Amino acid sequence: MNVLEATNIHKSYGNKFNRQEVLKGVDITIMKGEFVGIMGASGSGKTTLLNVLSSIDKINGGMIKIEGNEISRMKEKQLANFRKTHLGFIFQDYNLLDTLTVKENILLPLSVAKTPSAVAHKKFDALAKQLGIYELKDKYPNEISGGQKQRTSAARAFIHEPSMIFADEPTGALDSKAASDLLNKLTELNDKRSATIVMVTHDPVAASYCSKVIFIKDGQIYTQLYKGDQTRKDFFEDIMKTQGVLGGVQDEY
Amino acid sequence: MNINQLVFRNFKKNVKNYYLYVFALVFSAALYFAFVTLQYDPALDATKGSIKGGAAVRAASVLLVAIVSIFLLYANTIFIKRRSKEIGLFQLIGMTKTRIFRILTAENFMLYFSSLIVGILIGFSFSKAVIMVLFKITDTKGIAKLHFSEEALIQTLIVFGVIYLLIMTMNYLFIKRQTILALFRVTSSTEGKTKKISILEIIIGILGMIFIASGYYISAKLFDGSFTSMNALSIAMVSILASVILGTYLFYKGSVRFLLNLMRKSKKGYLSINDVLSLSSIMFRMKSNALLLTVITTVSALAIGLLCLSYISYYSAEKSAEDYVPNNFSINSPKDAASFKNALNQKKIAYTEKKIDVIQVKANVKSILENDLKSPMVDSSAMTIPVISEKSVNGVDVAPNETLFTGYNNMLQKAMPFKDSGRIELKGKQKVIQQKFVGLNRKFLLSIYFTGGGLPTAVVDDYVFNELKHDADPAIQKESNVYTGIDISKESDLQKANQLFGEMKFSNNSLNDSRMDMTINQKQNMGLIMFIVGFLGLAFLITSGCILYFKQMDESEDEKPNYTILRKLGFTEKDLLNGIKIKQLFNFGIPLIVGLLHSYFAVQSGWFWFGTEVWTPMIIVMIVYTALYSIFGILSVLYYKKIIKEAL
Repeated sequence: MNVLEATNIHKSYGNKFNRQEVLKGVDITIMKGEFVGIMGASGSGKTTLLNVLSSIDKINGGMIKIEGNEISRMKEKQLANFRKTHLGFIFQDYNLLDTLTVKENILLPLSVAKTPSAVAHKKFDALAKQLGIYELKDKYPNEISGGQKQRTSAARAFIHEPSMIFADEPTGALDSKAASDLLNKLTELNDKRSATIVMVTHDPVAASYCSKVIFIKDGQIYTQLYKGDQTRKDFFEDIMKTQGVLGGVQDEY
Repeated sequence: MNINQLVFRNFKKNVKNYYLYVFALVFSAALYFAFVTLQYDPALDATKGSIKGGAAVRAASVLLVAIVSIFLLYANTIFIKRRSKEIGLFQLIGMTKTRIFRILTAENFMLYFSSLIVGILIGFSFSKAVIMVLFKITDTKGIAKLHFSEEALIQTLIVFGVIYLLIMTMNYLFIKRQTILALFRVTSSTEGKTKKISILEIIIGILGMIFIASGYYISAKLFDGSFTSMNALSIAMVSILASVILGTYLFYKGSVRFLLNLMRKSKKGYLSINDVLSLSSIMFRMKSNALLLTVITTVSALAIGLLCLSYISYYSAEKSAEDYVPNNFSINSPKDAASFKNALNQKKIAYTEKKIDVIQVKANVKSILENDLKSPMVDSSAMTIPVISEKSVNGVDVAPNETLFTGYNNMLQKAMPFKDSGRIELKGKQKVIQQKFVGLNRKFLLSIYFTGGGLPTAVVDDYVFNELKHDADPAIQKESNVYTGIDISKESDLQKANQLFGEMKFSNNSLNDSRMDMTINQKQNMGLIMFIVGFLGLAFLITSGCILYFKQMDESEDEKPNYTILRKLGFTEKDLLNGIKIKQLFNFGIPLIVGLLHSYFAVQSGWFWFGTEVWTPMIIVMIVYTALYSIFGILSVLYYKKIIKEAL
């Protein structure tokens, strides 16, 4: 079953005279329970793609459907409502509210949805234990490490069980240990809760955790790789090769 | 690119960001210049000469300098904080701190003095309106002319020059203290994190409330006779001020945080959007806000209190003139009364006359005093008061053994309150007459010439009056013992009669009074003071409102990323704005409410020195103040609205 369907989406910035087309007709379908990576060189449009898919930015042409709802035609208020119930976000710079404790940050999406407080606490306990941040619940964001912040951010994205989770370079600001921790947790959540995750990354290691990787070049889809039954190591090799052909910045590995 | 170009480009680019600072500058320059122009205005000399307002104006201008400099320094701190990143960047590319300081100084110089000139021009065109208001209030006749005063210009330039130096010193210290790293981080590190509630905090909070309450308690006791010596009185006043201000600070520091903390704890981490935007954001900043809120509360309390008191005296000018001069004209000697009546008859002005025989009697009022007088100046067992017969008063009938008091000055009433009933003694030269005291009437019947400055008049039975008259002690009698009150029948003749009264040649030291003159005199005296206080109060109001508004602007910029997150999470603009409204209600409301409360107690403790009416003028002032003050709150909400809209 398709969770997300995007057909022929166009997005450009600038004015009439100085127009820059960032997305030039992208088609994507994402199935329920998939863990999708989006890769591409800097400036290829991957963050823009994520932003339009997640309804934060408007498209200029084409159509995006999430669970049958056409979000490209929704009004601002409907969109806000839609984000509340259907989407979760993880960002590179965590985007936690400094004024709230870890627990308060995580419970925020539930308060939007007006979930009864007993249910909310139960959900929090289960999720926080799963992500290993239960002990931190009364701390403020500036008292915990980057990895912990990112896990808090992930918990906030998962807590209201959205149909899709969007992650923008979630490992970008983490060291390799914290990054692999987080990716393992994400995979685990993906498996156990069958949450659909879309992750933008430029790190091939991070991408190798996905079940499918979409490569973007100059605003168009270049190719898609499926993990299938390969091991993570083989998949990683595949990704590296594709990236080499793509002509992005290569890592000596 | 050399340094001059850099300065100039910087200036051009920053003018947009500076508008807040420019506004603060233009506003304070205009305010100050208008006021100083007034000080040097030749038109004011007339008012000054007659009511000695020069000293008051000068004192006020000193106070104004203080307000203006605090205001500008505060605007500057917000402003330099905003530019800390730029300063860090300059340092990063290898500029020395001195050089950066020089760039900032040059840039600031252009900005500062050009807005100063604009401010002076605005203040100049504004000063005419100010003078016209002053004339209106003091009933001074004259036409306000636009007059450019060089002294005012020089004084303004000097004052603002000094403030400029102060600001530069502050900037210098700021740059000197900072490291590159700290400069980049400054916005996020200025506020400490919220700590858990400690017992200490609870104690601080409770202490704060105790301090405020005790301050209020002493203020209520201040003039009721508990403090009789001047020394004790001034100690009491200082301790009220100290305990209330300190209490306010502790209240903000401890109690507010404590209460909010309790509220937050009870939510167990499950906060609604309104809580997120109001509760947690307020708590997050409470540490740095405590001092600011205290300053603003104190300033508003001061402004409201002063405005109330001056308005009370202005408002009750007529009323208190009525107390001092019971009739349109009160004439103390029969001879003067006769000549004035003659003059009135000649001009064919209709009038009614009221004659009252008065004798002075020593009265023992010890047993009807609420509390013992310790002051050596007044002997409560032999107080000299005027006595009149019941016949002289319409509609009063007292039994032969009864005495009614009437017309007792407010101020004295506070210092020496009487019981509702009791026994008193009226002492003649030989005999002492025992009387039953039956109460105190509000109405004044005699002029202050007879009442010794506001002591009550005793009304006794005609028989008793005659007895006292025969037995009167000549040593304490006044020169005259007949009071003549003249009321002009037609309102329209009053002006003419008053002129006539002014032209009369009365015998010396008889202290005849015209109520109209008294009212005008009162209004002129109080009018200038009220004008100055009103001007200062307005300056206080606008500066404290602006400071709060700037603070909120600053906060909203800091919190912009939060709004971005929240909107991404699916909160609508309306959700966010509702939370902001609650927050602003708190940020503006709490200092206002506490300030109103402070000034209420201040006014209650001493209003009777200033006039006869308290409620109407006080409530009017408070409502007007609240309305003006709310404008800033509304403006800040609008600003937040803009920020939230831009956040996604």
